[in-house]
Amino acid sequence: MAVTEKPLYYLSIHEAQQLIQKRQLSPVELAGAVLDRIAAVDAKLHAYINLTADSALAEARAAEAEVAHGNWRGPMHGIPIAVKDQLDVQGAPARIRQFSQGVGDATAVRKLREAGAVMMGKLHMSSLPDALPLPRNPWNTEHITGGSSTGSGAAVAGGLCLGSLGEDTAGSIRTPAAFCGIAGLKATYGRVSRYGLAPLSWSLDHCGPMARMVEDLAHMLNAIAGHDANDPTSSTAPVADYTASLREDVKGLVVGVPRDYIDACAPRTEGIVLQRVDEAIAVLKSMGAVIEAVKIPTLHLATIANAVIYYNEFWAAHKSNAAWVLRNGAAQRRARVYLGLLTGSADYIQAQRIRGRCRAELAEVFGKVNCLALPNQAGPAPLVKDVGPIDTLYKHVRPEFHGPFNLTGLPTLSVPCGFSDNQLPIALQLVGKPFDECTVLRAGYSYQQQMKWYERRPAL
Amino acid sequence: MDRLIEQHLLAVLNREGLEPKAGDLEQFSEIIGLYLDNLKQLHSVNLGAQELAPVFRPEWTEKK
Repeated sequence: MAVTEKPLYYLSIHEAQQLIQKRQLSPVELAGAVLDRIAAVDAKLHAYINLTADSALAEARAAEAEVAHGNWRGPMHGIPIAVKDQLDVQGAPARIRQFSQGVGDATAVRKLREAGAVMMGKLHMSSLPDALPLPRNPWNTEHITGGSSTGSGAAVAGGLCLGSLGEDTAGSIRTPAAFCGIAGLKATYGRVSRYGLAPLSWSLDHCGPMARMVEDLAHMLNAIAGHDANDPTSSTAPVADYTASLREDVKGLVVGVPRDYIDACAPRTEGIVLQRVDEAIAVLKSMGAVIEAVKIPTLHLATIANAVIYYNEFWAAHKSNAAWVLRNGAAQRRARVYLGLLTGSADYIQAQRIRGRCRAELAEVFGKVNCLALPNQAGPAPLVKDVGPIDTLYKHVRPEFHGPFNLTGLPTLSVPCGFSDNQLPIALQLVGKPFDECTVLRAGYSYQQQMKWYERRPAL
Repeated sequence: MDRLIEQHLLAVLNREGLEPKAGDLEQFSEIIGLYLDNLKQLHSVNLGAQELAPVFRPEWTEKK
């Protein structure tokens, strides 16, 4: 049995892969520990909607045998991973497809399997067709996890998997990452294949990794990044080794802060969030980063432009299901149908022109900075009882911190930067140039290692 | 909900052969109003010669 200072289910991917490679930890032992953890706490967290324990153990045994024979595939070999339900998994297509077939394994899932990951099952997401219990925040189960990668946030923070594949159209990786005190990466649009991802909005959907440690995001991204001919928007841009530059320091890194935009959002942002983010930026500065205020004039229209594109594309993608959605679907999905129908072609075109303008302004800003830093959320995770069925949509239609980076497709990292007065996580957002995940991961890694917020764990 | 907006929404739903779920127009009245108000802001900016962001490229890649 592996001897570690922490429970096996709270090992990072990086820690676990070192032990597995050295044969000091069996993938079977690790998967078993995670399954025991799921049995112990998921009745409170409701993260999993389809737990595939038998096949996970079979995969773990296969991984154990391969490693024993010297065939170690890499850092993801034998690592327990769970997948947001929006991604197709062989035998378990995305439920929001409802009346259409899945593709078997989504490309990102297939790549993780090929890397030797152990698939634990599928995780809850917002607005599922069937009414399943809403996942609860491991830090305080009276609070939400945030969506739409709801189960991913709960599972990673609660030790029910070592990493998760999530998806982000208007903050759906970054919100649960922030609320649940974990790291999450919305990679550059086109960096990770969308093949097998049930669409919410074709030009805004981003698949990406969620884990407790920034380093683990890099390991997962190494496995899932790259061109896929099955996804027409998949990029042929060269794939880096996202772990290679992680440990470089941030001395001289120029961090742009869109102060005007943050101030404009401030009336709808809790003071503790602004305080913790300012503290995090000050930490980066103390580590040698250069902080500069930047102006991005069109940013205040980017969120509504993102929403216009989102609801129009959502309508088009789900039109064939619309009658069912309006009769039986969750309130959020029904509302998106109505909002999509109310938006005309002139609105969609204007939103796409705003997209072009915003992209040009950001390109100019990134000529002077290496990354941007800004808040990730309006406040800590709210109480379950205080959240209405369509509250998320209010976030979509007013200037906020997520939509602009779906609109422009930039790589965006969420990393924990402290806690609220009632001990709920708060996060910082770091945004990079297209396909420069290395810089945001490096900055996030340096910050995370400096502050060590990850040493605190939920008391489940 | 503003009467004109309600009529417009019902007309487009009808065009698609759909009906709103009972109570939805009232439940979603506020978010719809907020969304449409913010939509007006989208058109308030003069974008000059700014073209659409997605660029159409006629070449295709071979699907494996």
